[in-house]
Amino acid sequence: MASLSLEGIQKIYPNGFHAVKDFNLDIEDKEFIIFVGPSGCGKSTTLRMIAGLEDISGGTLKIDGKVMNDVEPKDRDIAMVFQNYALYPHMTVYDNMAFGLKLRKVPKDEIDKKVREAARILDLEKLLDRKPKALSGGQRQRVAMGRAIVRNPKVFLMDEPLSNLDAKLRVQMRIEISKLHENLGATIIYVTHDQTEAMTLGTRIVVMKDGVVQQVDTPQNLYNTPCNLFVAGFIGSPQMNFMDAVCKVNGEDVTLTVGEHVLKVPASKKKALIEGGYDGKTVVLGIRPEDVHDSEAFISNSPDSIIESTIKVYELLGAEVFLYFDVEGTQMTARVNPRTTLRTGDKAVFALDMEKIHVFDKETELTITN
Amino acid sequence: MEQKQELEKALLELKRITGVTLDVSAGTDDEIVHALSQIRCLCTAYKEKYNKADFLCGLMTGGIPSYDIQERAARLHIDPEEKRVLFLLEAKSLDETAGEILKNMFPSQTKTYLVPIREHTLAILRPRRPGETDSDTARIAQTIVDTLNTEALIRVHLSYSFVIDSLSDLQEAFRETGLALRVGKLFYSEQTVFPYNELGIGRLIYQLPVPLCENFLKEIFGADIPDQFDDELLGTVSRFFQNNLNIAETARQLHMHRNTLIYRIEQIQKRTGLDVRLFEDAMTFKIATMVLNYLQAERKH
Repeated sequence: MASLSLEGIQKIYPNGFHAVKDFNLDIEDKEFIIFVGPSGCGKSTTLRMIAGLEDISGGTLKIDGKVMNDVEPKDRDIAMVFQNYALYPHMTVYDNMAFGLKLRKVPKDEIDKKVREAARILDLEKLLDRKPKALSGGQRQRVAMGRAIVRNPKVFLMDEPLSNLDAKLRVQMRIEISKLHENLGATIIYVTHDQTEAMTLGTRIVVMKDGVVQQVDTPQNLYNTPCNLFVAGFIGSPQMNFMDAVCKVNGEDVTLTVGEHVLKVPASKKKALIEGGYDGKTVVLGIRPEDVHDSEAFISNSPDSIIESTIKVYELLGAEVFLYFDVEGTQMTARVNPRTTLRTGDKAVFALDMEKIHVFDKETELTITN
Repeated sequence: MEQKQELEKALLELKRITGVTLDVSAGTDDEIVHALSQIRCLCTAYKEKYNKADFLCGLMTGGIPSYDIQERAARLHIDPEEKRVLFLLEAKSLDETAGEILKNMFPSQTKTYLVPIREHTLAILRPRRPGETDSDTARIAQTIVDTLNTEALIRVHLSYSFVIDSLSDLQEAFRETGLALRVGKLFYSEQTVFPYNELGIGRLIYQLPVPLCENFLKEIFGADIPDQFDDELLGTVSRFFQNNLNIAETARQLHMHRNTLIYRIEQIQKRTGLDVRLFEDAMTFKIATMVLNYLQAERKH
């Protein structure tokens, strides 16, 4: 397998469209890296540049220390799995997986060995004689992956490979891909717009927006310490709640005022606000839905972080309840215990876990407290 | 000796395309040359008459008169009235591997015809199944591109036509897909699939005569027509247009101070007289850059 290095990678199309800007990333051997971001953010373009399917306008791409900018795709020792895959309809699963190797004139016994090994890894051994028509969506996708595995490449590149599957199959295939990574010990670069897929699969995640890398980190760090408003809003479902708040510094005390609610900033967060000179300025206060509490015990222990509102929507999801309500014109969500007694129309009191708040600069949208 | 080898090759070719084995007894060099010429003529005539790809290529390029279509199609067992969509594929290298992949993607029972046009261009004439929609066609187009990308590891561009009701529409469909491919690569270079009906203003510009384009550019830039704007400037303006002329949002996305952005915009105004903060001027600038691209491509051609 392989390590990759992307140094200042740029993509500018001849029509002036600047798709990727100054992309810097080192990918270690056997890493599972996810490129995630909204549609049009440049994640697929970056993957295609790594594959050699797009020219690199600026910067250097290295695989195992060798510059690959001008190397033909077939000489980069990579394998790709894309969203739209075609299985050859008249061939069996075995032949579908063997086809690419046959074209490369690989000896028959070697092909057989590789196909059977890939089939074993993907649990396709019993289906090798079937035609694509007789396969389920998930099985077809596994055959498509098998075609990539038999190449035994240095790097696997996957561009939204699960997008054509229904929600249930996607979850199942996610687990399969995760297992596959463990079994192969492969370096995988995986593109998705689905943050759940990104969080569950990646060892590290690259969050992109408008062709610019926003943050590269582990799933846990992205969730706990987002570097800006975009990452904070993009990672997590339901997404983080945001409110405009005025910061007030009074000696050692720092408060954030949201309308008539005054929230006391804990010691761990206030230093950055004081030193950043935010006294009297409006900032963006972010808090995840699970850090908005309705339990009496939490509320009585947190008298300095109380907000009040009326429940607009009550959503029971079985193991948890989502409560939707407005605070100073901004919609908020609380993820609470299903035993909650609150229902639509009820007046409610919530306490925010102030140790878990995130504060962002309103102008730059960068984090102040993380 | 060389002539004899050529003759053997020609005989093999004849056998390959017709199934007929000929035994030629030619002693002198003149006899060999004569036999070679006759066998080559036979091959050409057979291809013209019985080869589906040759027939369809002739139809696309206007080499077959309309009165001949029905009869020749019937002889080749091609339904002349079947609904079809034409895909036109272009790749840097359409090698044997790509051909094999396409043949296997569309085996003969699918009644899809693969028609080589030039070294780097191949047409795929595929029946439109009942119930198939335009989005199915778009998906098939993307699947062709993705499959060639992943299996043959080659870069490809693909355009596709409207639904053809009869083989007599094939020439028009070929013209449209050819245009879509050229316009798409020129103006929408970030895409790989170009539907015939999504060419936008690129289609209009592409069909303008060069002198008219030059006059248009002279009107905007005066005598000093730039060869091209620098990438940084174009990238900045492109992002500004993508954000609907919103300065704050563009500055934020480009990680630059709004005054830097305004300075760059004013540089354009200084150079062209166009204030791209105004919709009309923005539109003119956008079209002017597209026309510049077009003229550059024309000159390279």
